[in-house]
Amino acid sequence: MAVSFPKCPSSPLPPLQTRNRAWLSPLSAPLQVGDSSKWALLEATKRCHLCVSATNGGSAVAPVEPSKKVQDSGPKTTPTDHSTKVENGIRPTVLSSNEFQDLKTGPDNSGRESTVSITVVGASGDLAKKKIFPALFALYYEGFLPKHFTIFGYARSKMTDSELREMVSRTLNCRIDQRENCDAKMEEFLKRCFYHSGQYDSEAHFVELDKKLKQHEGSRISNRLYYLSIPPNIFLDVVKCTSLAASSENGWTRVIVEKPFGRDAESSAALTRGLKQYLHEDQIFRIDHYLGKELVENLSVLRFSNLVFEPLWSRQYIRNVQIIFSEDFGTEGRGGYFDSYGIIRDIMQNHLLQIVALFAMETRTSLEAEDIRNEKVKVLRSMKTLEIDDVVIGQYKSHTRGGVVYPGYTDDKTVPNDSLTPTFAAAALFINNARWDGVPFLMKAGKALHTKRAEIRVQFRHVPGNLYKKCFGTDLDRATNELVIRVQPDEAIYLKINNKIPGLGMRLDRSNLNLHYAARYSKEIPCAYERLLLDAIEGERRLFIRSDELDAAWALFTPLLKDLEEKRIAPELYPYGSRGPVGAHYLAAKYNVRWGDLGAEH
Amino acid sequence: MTILRFYQRPSSLSIAFSSRHERSFSGSSELVTLTTRRNQCWRFSPLKSSNGSPLAGASWKDDGKEMPVPKVPDIGSQLAENTVSITVVGASGDLAKKKIFPALFALYYEGYLPQHFTVFGYARSKLTDEELRHTISTTLTCRVDKRENCSDKMEQFLRRCFYHSGQYGSEVDFCELDNKLKEKEDGKLANRLFYLSIPPNIFVDVVRGASRSASSPNGWTRFIVEKPFGRDSESSSELTRCLKMYLIEEQIFRIDHYLGKELVENLSVLRFANLVFEPLWSRNYIRNVQLIFSEDFGTEGRGGYFDHYGIIRDIMQNHLLQILALFAMETPVSLDGEDIRNEKVKVLRSMRVLKLDDVVVGQYKGHTKGGKSFPAYTDDPTVPKGSLTPTFAAASLFIDNARWDGVPFLMKAGKALHRRGAEIRVQFRHVPGNLYKRKFGTDLDKATNELVIRVQPNEAIYLKINNKVPGLSMRLDSSNLNLLYSERYPREIPDAYERLLLDAIEGERRLFIRSDELDAAWAIFSPLLRELEEKKVVPELYPYGSRGPVGAHYLAAKYNVRWGDLSDSS
Repeated sequence: MAVSFPKCPSSPLPPLQTRNRAWLSPLSAPLQVGDSSKWALLEATKRCHLCVSATNGGSAVAPVEPSKKVQDSGPKTTPTDHSTKVENGIRPTVLSSNEFQDLKTGPDNSGRESTVSITVVGASGDLAKKKIFPALFALYYEGFLPKHFTIFGYARSKMTDSELREMVSRTLNCRIDQRENCDAKMEEFLKRCFYHSGQYDSEAHFVELDKKLKQHEGSRISNRLYYLSIPPNIFLDVVKCTSLAASSENGWTRVIVEKPFGRDAESSAALTRGLKQYLHEDQIFRIDHYLGKELVENLSVLRFSNLVFEPLWSRQYIRNVQIIFSEDFGTEGRGGYFDSYGIIRDIMQNHLLQIVALFAMETRTSLEAEDIRNEKVKVLRSMKTLEIDDVVIGQYKSHTRGGVVYPGYTDDKTVPNDSLTPTFAAAALFINNARWDGVPFLMKAGKALHTKRAEIRVQFRHVPGNLYKKCFGTDLDRATNELVIRVQPDEAIYLKINNKIPGLGMRLDRSNLNLHYAARYSKEIPCAYERLLLDAIEGERRLFIRSDELDAAWALFTPLLKDLEEKRIAPELYPYGSRGPVGAHYLAAKYNVRWGDLGAEH
Repeated sequence: MTILRFYQRPSSLSIAFSSRHERSFSGSSELVTLTTRRNQCWRFSPLKSSNGSPLAGASWKDDGKEMPVPKVPDIGSQLAENTVSITVVGASGDLAKKKIFPALFALYYEGYLPQHFTVFGYARSKLTDEELRHTISTTLTCRVDKRENCSDKMEQFLRRCFYHSGQYGSEVDFCELDNKLKEKEDGKLANRLFYLSIPPNIFVDVVRGASRSASSPNGWTRFIVEKPFGRDSESSSELTRCLKMYLIEEQIFRIDHYLGKELVENLSVLRFANLVFEPLWSRNYIRNVQLIFSEDFGTEGRGGYFDHYGIIRDIMQNHLLQILALFAMETPVSLDGEDIRNEKVKVLRSMRVLKLDDVVVGQYKGHTKGGKSFPAYTDDPTVPKGSLTPTFAAASLFIDNARWDGVPFLMKAGKALHRRGAEIRVQFRHVPGNLYKRKFGTDLDKATNELVIRVQPNEAIYLKINNKVPGLSMRLDSSNLNLLYSERYPREIPDAYERLLLDAIEGERRLFIRSDELDAAWAIFSPLLRELEEKKVVPELYPYGSRGPVGAHYLAAKYNVRWGDLSDSS
C-alpha cells in the first residue's frame, strides 16, 4: 500500500535531534514509499501485540494525509485516554510513536513548543543523588536534553529548591574530556531544578505538583517523565497519584521504574496488573541498567554487523556461554533490602538473564524496539525452567587477611543472624530451541568475591580432527577459541586464538585478538543511566523490559526460588574476597564446562 | 624414475629424535607422534646410488638420528656419533655473508646445531680459513635479548668454520673438499649439506661435482638451492631434470625464504588450530584475498640480475604464489611435509592459467620529492635503457575448485613504492540482510570484516570488526581485534633462513618446494610471461616512492575488489 507520511518540520531541529542516531536521518529526506508501507505494518503489528485498549488509537494505522496526521498527533486527548496520548503518533520505520512526537517537539504546526518535565520521585534517596541527577546533568551538558526542560525532585522531606540544588550539586561532575564551562553549565542546570515535598500516596500533593509543573511548562506541549526511585511497596501509590493527578494533558506521560519488579512470578504479575490500572504498557519503562552498558549494547552490533561472528553463533560451534558478574564488596551495612531478595533476584533473574536473551536471540526483523523485545521474549520462553540441581548457592563468611578482618554476610547488622539468603549463585540454563539445544549457558553472580567484573565468555568447540592436537596436551577443550566481552571494568572485546609461538620449533600458544576500549576510544563511556534516561525521553523502548518479558523471566526462576526457600537450602559458605564456593566448579563440571574466569591464565 | 619404498624402522630406534623437537614439545605424547610422523620419512632408495655410496648406507636419507641425543643416552650409544658438515658454495657472495653464516651462527648460539658440526666455505677466490673467519665475523650478531657470552660463542663458532678454494665445475676440487671434510668428520656418521649460494647457470656443475666427489659415504647428502629455478616452465624443468641426474628428489631442498617467515608459518596454525576461522574459509564467506608485497627501494645499481627476471618471476611466481597455496589448500592429512606439499600442488593445479588481461605491469620512473631526486629504473646503470622489465605487477588469480570458485586472489608486488611491507588481506562478504545497513552508507562492501596477516614489518594479525562507537548514539565504527607480535612476544623473531637451514638439517621438507609444485607454479605463469615478452607489453610508469600504477585499481575494480592496503583506514 502506498502511504504518504508526515514530513519532518523544516524549521530548525529541536535539541533532541542533536543526538546522532542514524535512524533519524531518513526524516530529513523525503520518505520512500517502500519504507513507509513497512512501518505502517509494524505499527499495526505492534498495536495488535500490545492489545491496546483504546479504540481511537487505531486510526493512526490507516493511511492518512501527512498534514492530517500531524494534527492528529497533536494535543487532543482527555486525561483518561492514556493510550491515545502515548500512541497517537505514527512514526517512520524504527521510530516508536512517541519518538515521532518527540521529533516534533520543535514548534509544531500550531506553533507550540514542547517541553519535558522530569520528576524524580524519591529525590532524597541514594540512587537519585548518585546516579539520576548526575545522569540528567550529563545529558544536559552534552546537549541531549530538549531546549526547555524542568526537573523536579519529589520526596517527603521538607526541603526548599535551593536545598535540593545544594544537595544535587555535590554529586554533579563533568565528563573528563570536556571540562569547559562546567561551572556555568552546572549553574544553568541547577536553575532548572525544583523541589516539591509531598506524601507518596497523596493525590492532593500531586495536584500541587501538577500546578507547579504547569507553571514551568507554560503554554508548551508538556511531556512528563516520572522516575520512581522509591521502594517497591509504594510504586503503586505513586503511579496512581501521578497518573490521576499529574499526567500531562497534551503530551506524553511516562514512568520509569527500577527493580525489584516483584519477588516472584505472582508478585510481579500483581505489580504489573496494578501498574496497568493506571498506565498503559507504553508508558511503563522498566529499567535494567545493565542493558544500558556500552558493551551490552554493542553485543547486537557485534553479532549482526559482522559476517565473521554470525555463522559461529549456534550449537554447532559454541560449546558453552558464561555470564559472570562479581563484586568485590559485600552488603557493608546495607543488607536490609538485599536480604529479602538475594543475589538470584538481584542480579541473575534480571541483569544476567537479559544479557543471555540478547546474546541468544534470533536475528530480529529490524532495529525497532518491539522487534528486539519480541525476539528476547521468544528466547526466554524457550528456556528450560531452572531446577534446584542446576544451581549452586553460596554466602560469604568472614575472612581475615593481612590483619584486616572482613565481615561475614550475617555479621551485617541489617541482616538477620540466621539468614540463608544467597550472596553467590551459579546456575546452568538451557535454551531448548534449534539454535541452542544442549549448549549450557552458565551464570555466576556473587558479592564479596576477589574481583569486580562483569563479562560474557563464549567458549567454542574444539577443532574437529585438529592437525595440531598433539601440541595441546590431553584436553582439547582447554585450547579452544574463546570470545570474551568484558562489560566492566575496562571494557574490552577479545578473541582467544591459537597461534604459533614465534621461533624455531612448533609450540602453540593462546593469544588474544584484542580490542581494548580505553586504548581505542579515549572518550569517556557514558553511564548506563544517561543512555536509559535519554531513551525514555525519546520513547526508545529497546532497552526497557516489556511486561511479557518480565513474566517470562520470572517463570524461569520462580519455581527454583520457591524451592530454595521452602526447603531452606543452606548456602555453601565462602570466605570474603575469595573466588566463591567450589560448588560452582562442580556445577560447571557436570556440564563439561570450565569457568573461563578462573583459569590459570587469570 | 625414482622408485621409493617406505620402510618402517624399529620403533625403539625412532625415539632418537632431534633435540629440537624435544625442546619444542613437552610431554611424551608429542614425542610419539613425531615418531610416527618421522617414520614416514625413513626412506630407502633402491636406486643405484647416484652419489656413489653403498646402497644401504646412502639410503637413510631422512632419519632423525643426525643429532646427538643426550637425553636418551642408551640409544645414542648404539649409534656412531653424528656430525653435520655444512658447505656454503659461493661463500664470498652477498647472501652467504649477510644471511647464511649469520643464520648458522644463530642456530649454533641457540643450541640447535648438533654437538659436532663443521662449516665450510667454498668459492673460487683464494682465501685462508682465517680470512674467511674474518669476513664472517663482521656480520655475526647475537640476538638482542640474549647477549651473554656472545663473543665466546662467536669464537667457538668461527673455530669450526673453514674455507676451501676451488672451481665450481671441477670434480677434482670437490675431491679435495671431500678429503678435508672427512678429516673434520673424523669417522663419525657424516651428514652433508651443501648450500648453493651461486648463480643459477652453475647450479648443475656444482651439483655434479659435489654429488659425485663429495657426497657423504654413510649419512645423508642434501643440497639447498635458491631461486631462480629457471625462467619459465621449460627452463625450470630442464634444471630439475639436470639436478635429478645427480640427486634424487629427497636430496633437493628448494628454498623459498618467504615460507620461513613467522607469520607464513603461522598461517596454517591459524587456520587449522582455531575453530573460528575454518568455517569462514571458503567462497561462502570470503569475498577476495589480497597478497601484497612492496619494497620502498628500487634496484639501486644492482639491477643486472633483476632485469633478466622482473618482478613477476622474482616475487609473484614464487613467494606470493606459495603463500596463496598455503592459504587456500585443503586440510592436509597430517603436518608431514609430503602431506602439505601434496595439498599445495593440488591448489596450484586447480588454478586458472594467468592471462594478459588479468595482469597489470608497471615500472618506476624518476621522481623528485622534497628536493631529493629518486632515479628511474632505467637510470640504473646495470639496466638497459630500453628495458621493459616490470618492477611492479598486479594480477588476479582464480582457483577453480569447490572451495574457491569465483573468489579473486589478487596479488600485487612492486619495487620503489611508498612503503615496505608484505601482507595477506582477507576481505569477507557483507552481512546478508544487515540490520545496520543504514549506518554504512551505500557501499556495504566497505564495511565488511577483514582479516589482515602482516608478514613484515611489525608482524601482526588483526581482524577488522564493526562495533558501536561508545556513547549515546548508534554510530558504527570499524575497529580491530589486534595481535601485535612485538607486544605479545618481545623476543626477537628468528630470521627465515635460520628456520629453513635447521629444517634442511633435520630433513623437514614442509617449507621446501617439491619439483611438481615448481612445475605447477610455472605452468600458471609461463604463458603470461612469454606473452608479455613477445608482445613487448610496455609497463605503466609510476613515480619512485608512489603507490604504484593506477592500473592496479582498475584491475581490482574489474573483479569488484578494492585494495585493502590503499584505503583510508589502513
